[in-house]
Amino acid sequence: MATPALEIEDVRKSFGGVAAVNGVSLRLPPGRIYGLIGPNGSGKTTLFNCITGVERRDAGRIFLNGERIDGLKPYQVAQKGVGRTFQIIRVFPELTALENLLVVTRGAREAARARALELLRFVKLEGLKDEYAGNLSYGQQKLVEFVRMLMRDPALVLLDEPAAGVNRTLLNDLLEAVRRLRDQGKTVLLVEHDMKVVMGLCETVFVLDHGEKIAEGPPGVIQTDERVIEAYFGR
Amino acid sequence: MRRAFLAALAAAVAAFAIYPEFGTGYGVRSILQVFMWIALAGSWNLVSGLTGYVSFGHVAFFGAGAYAGGILITQHGWPWPVASLGGGAAALVLAAVIGGPCLRLKGPYFAIAMLGLNEVLRALVSYFEGLTGGGNGLSLPTLDASVPIYYVMGLLAMAVTAGTYLIITSRFGLRLMTIREDELAAEAMGIDTFRHKMYALLLSAVGPGIAGALTARDQGYIEPISVFPLATTITMIVMVLFGGKGTVWGPVLGAVVLFVAQELVWARYPYVHPLLFGAIIVAVVLAMPRGVLGLLQIKYHLPRTI
Repeated sequence: MATPALEIEDVRKSFGGVAAVNGVSLRLPPGRIYGLIGPNGSGKTTLFNCITGVERRDAGRIFLNGERIDGLKPYQVAQKGVGRTFQIIRVFPELTALENLLVVTRGAREAARARALELLRFVKLEGLKDEYAGNLSYGQQKLVEFVRMLMRDPALVLLDEPAAGVNRTLLNDLLEAVRRLRDQGKTVLLVEHDMKVVMGLCETVFVLDHGEKIAEGPPGVIQTDERVIEAYFGR
Repeated sequence: MRRAFLAALAAAVAAFAIYPEFGTGYGVRSILQVFMWIALAGSWNLVSGLTGYVSFGHVAFFGAGAYAGGILITQHGWPWPVASLGGGAAALVLAAVIGGPCLRLKGPYFAIAMLGLNEVLRALVSYFEGLTGGGNGLSLPTLDASVPIYYVMGLLAMAVTAGTYLIITSRFGLRLMTIREDELAAEAMGIDTFRHKMYALLLSAVGPGIAGALTARDQGYIEPISVFPLATTITMIVMVLFGGKGTVWGPVLGAVVLFVAQELVWARYPYVHPLLFGAIIVAVVLAMPRGVLGLLQIKYHLPRTI
């Protein structure tokens, strides 16, 4: 069996007396799209932050392609090949769209520029490359953030609510782009509230509630799982 | 446009180069001061304008350079040009030492820590009387070197401005700006923000260190209150805010305009001078928080190299 792209072993994280993530274990074989769902406050974003090193986990281990990444700083996790987007957009507003992508690169300037332009073309933003990112529309900023994350060619892609606030056309483009990442062999883990998106896109879904994993499986099975229904709608 | 600008720049440099041949002593000293302010404001811009980490204690590097230079000249007999490099080195070492703890602080906490650093340094200099002369100050051997110091300070101002240009047009400069824009996102993109902040602080310390040593030599006498005044830091900040932070020419514009304004007003109405400076700070912050060039840059979509 292939080494999982991401493996999380019994990760815990508390804030004061609140256990935000309470012993979660996930195993993500490579090259697939995974969903992470759960009611508000179930620990999804905290788990993302533990994976990316933004929060220091209290206990547990995290492996990227078999290599431990827990305890690394956020930039080190990124350099190991984890790309992420944020729930609230975080572009660099006073840098241009093109510069937003170029900051990530080292080495030959022309090659970096060519790659950045190719990615902007990929999301049809080439014409706005010299516009300040802060002047772009919400959806365009979302796309800039998305392709900026791809500049490092990450093996694992973490998306925090990619569909939030995005219109239908843009959403279809984004989902198509995510599928293409999967086809390129990347592993994708996304947090999403829009169940249609989760059910249409993900091959495996993990469900968190009160910081614990309560279910795991294909979307069709998850939808009928009693514990999941209970977590979402109450008994 | 670009050619005309470069031609004007070359003409200005040539004019300043030959000015001491026929200028007055007062003129040379005034322009020397402008050069110093360009170097100081430009250096502050490197760390605070690019990374957004506002240093409220930048004069500490100036003062450290002044004392290092003064001590090297008086007690070790170094020639002043070499001692001024020693001043830059001292400021660099100071930045390396305090950068570790201070740059882990964010926003206002960093600003306050830098302010505190300056006060601590001033107290230390007063305390170690054997080395620094303490509160009595440090007198340097008599030497009239205003004209050579004028040239060296001019070179320093040019070096800081040219360095700013090189940094702002590089991807290293872009990475420094990502820290100002969104530090968490910068980290998520694989940028070691701490190391970059450290580089920026080191780069921004050298210029003030050299300028401090040159000023010590030029004035012939230094004391703790004359080389560690908070007012100097405030002036650097106001100059950059007025001209446009994060641009190449903003600090230059701010230094020239505010220095000239200050001289004119100060000579005629000494009591109005602090009032004027306060009014400028308020006006800039309220009306154009990006400064003159920053405003033009965003409005007309000009490159940061203006």
